[in-house]
Amino acid sequence: MRIWRIILLAIGSLRRTPLRVALTALGVAIGSSALVSMIAFALGVQRQAETPFRALGLVNVIRVSPKKDKDGGRGPALEDAALRRIEALPGVEAAYPDFRVRGLKIVRGDKMTSVVAIGLPRDVPLPGTAGDLLVAGEYFTPGAKPEIILGTQVARDLGLDTPQEALGATLRLETSGLSPGEAAKTFTFERKDLAVSVVGVYDLPNLLAGKMSGAVLLPVDLMRQIPGVESGSLLDRLKLGSDPTQPGYPEVTVRVRRHTDVAPVDKAIQAMGFRTRTLLSRLEDLRTFFLFMDVLLAAVGTVALLVAGLGIINTLLISVLERYQEIGLCKAIGASDGDVFVLFLTEAGAIGLVGGAAGLALGRAVCWGLELAINSYARTQGITAYLEVFAFPLWLVTATVLFSVGISVLAGVYPALRAARTDPIRALRRE
Amino acid sequence: MDTARSHEPFIATRGLTREYRVGPAVVRALADVSLDVRRGEFLAVLGVSGSGKSTLLHLLGGLDTPTAGSVLVNGRDLATFTSYERTVYRRTVVGFVFQSYYLVPSLTAEENVALALTFQGTFGREGRRLADEAIRRVGLEHRARHRPSQLSGGEQQRVALARAIVHTPPLLLADEPTGNLDSATAQEVVSLIQRIHQELGTTVVMVTHDQEMAARLADRVVRLRDGRLADTGAAGP
Repeated sequence: MRIWRIILLAIGSLRRTPLRVALTALGVAIGSSALVSMIAFALGVQRQAETPFRALGLVNVIRVSPKKDKDGGRGPALEDAALRRIEALPGVEAAYPDFRVRGLKIVRGDKMTSVVAIGLPRDVPLPGTAGDLLVAGEYFTPGAKPEIILGTQVARDLGLDTPQEALGATLRLETSGLSPGEAAKTFTFERKDLAVSVVGVYDLPNLLAGKMSGAVLLPVDLMRQIPGVESGSLLDRLKLGSDPTQPGYPEVTVRVRRHTDVAPVDKAIQAMGFRTRTLLSRLEDLRTFFLFMDVLLAAVGTVALLVAGLGIINTLLISVLERYQEIGLCKAIGASDGDVFVLFLTEAGAIGLVGGAAGLALGRAVCWGLELAINSYARTQGITAYLEVFAFPLWLVTATVLFSVGISVLAGVYPALRAARTDPIRALRRE
Repeated sequence: MDTARSHEPFIATRGLTREYRVGPAVVRALADVSLDVRRGEFLAVLGVSGSGKSTLLHLLGGLDTPTAGSVLVNGRDLATFTSYERTVYRRTVVGFVFQSYYLVPSLTAEENVALALTFQGTFGREGRRLADEAIRRVGLEHRARHRPSQLSGGEQQRVALARAIVHTPPLLLADEPTGNLDSATAQEVVSLIQRIHQELGTTVVMVTHDQEMAARLADRVVRLRDGRLADTGAAGP
């Protein structure tokens, strides 16, 4: 293992000019720290943007609504029969009307709060509501029991300080709304009180917190009992020019098992004559944007590292000149051109390794500091959740060090070639 | 050592010529030198500065290539060696001592000696053993861990000598090894070279301008004048 010995020799030579080597490595460190923090930022922002969608399983959702042409023509109505047909499609987990009621009043003793109610099917829980988002209790039970799942904020507003305390509590829902009357184009105002018991408490992820912390979840069957809910928001429908008495739902949520099911199911539903919207297609746009951002930021970081590469070329060329005699001597006593080449390439690689590792540490430290600063600013802006702005996956850590070593070795090629080509006679010519 | 003193030439030159181009002029450093060096012989090459002595040594050591003529090693032309064979030749057959020592300043005496072994692939315990042995042979065991800057000129040249013989090469090429030393120290170094020659049977080609010393040490003295072989004479007993 002559090579190993030559590597040791290279490290020994680097120790001769510690300041120069340290400064060169610092250049690499700054370059690689710029690179790693830029990419970590891009990755972190991307993760921050996508996590809530994934946690809520929103990626696997298709929203379906009846088709309308500009000239007033319309597609088939979105009725229960259509729902059943959609549900029969392969890959579909559930299809349910998108019931959403704003300003629903919840009363517990002398406490009252106004919430947004969202209807969900009993048999298929949202991934998020079944899993880590549920901080206490469980998802709806099958059957027809009047059940409710509260957001943590709603629970607190009702005087239920801990999630455990909330479980089993009985609440009263005060509902009211316009229902289609007996005769066409007439409506009746209706008030109705519903008694429900709390089965679960959930906590929603960061970005949606502002909007949805005040939401409650109800089973779809319970939602149907709320006056006016079946015909959707009456005003909305009137605005859209559709007939409020026409059967069918204004919007339906279709959930598929895997995100790969989205495209075929989406196609099949469109073939039935409905309009669809998927979050996945919007996520793809988001991805494209992030890819663009990644490339841009990586390019900036790479430029910094390339500049550091020039520093390595400079340092090694000086070293070759200074050690001209030594190189000549090594060749005279039996070093091959290859040995000398490897010697200098190793010196370059070692600078890159040390610089890359230091840059990684530096980058992490800077990102950590920035993250603290960003979060303390966010707190002053009323955002309570901790924002993870930077992501350092293992591949990024490894790639940063490897890339630094790679660039450094590349920078070392020319000086190493010059060293290898040294003519021992000229180098050893007497002064 | 009978085999070492056999009469077939170990190293031979035939019409060896080396020219350098300096601007428009061509300088002939060595002209038509034919020379036989027997195995185990101590040959002194005498000549004033600029007579082509160093050029001859570089050609013998495979550091330089001739403009015309050839260097034969055991009858084989050095020009037919591949570049790797040439490296191996320098690595295993030749040991070099220079006037200016050329020690690596950042390495200790011992490490400088071991450096030569590094390129041959001998290191670790075996490398240290060989380096220690070579350093003992030049009587510097008490200075083994000193750096060149902490050593006197004579001591530095002895380290260089240890480095040249650490791999027990059959051929030692010494280029004015005493040129930078006062006469007392020079005497020490020269005695060491003679002892190595006698104890290890090393073939020595030493370049010097010191006629008296050459005559006293060498089996044979050749004289170079303006790149040409002037006369050959047996010296010593």
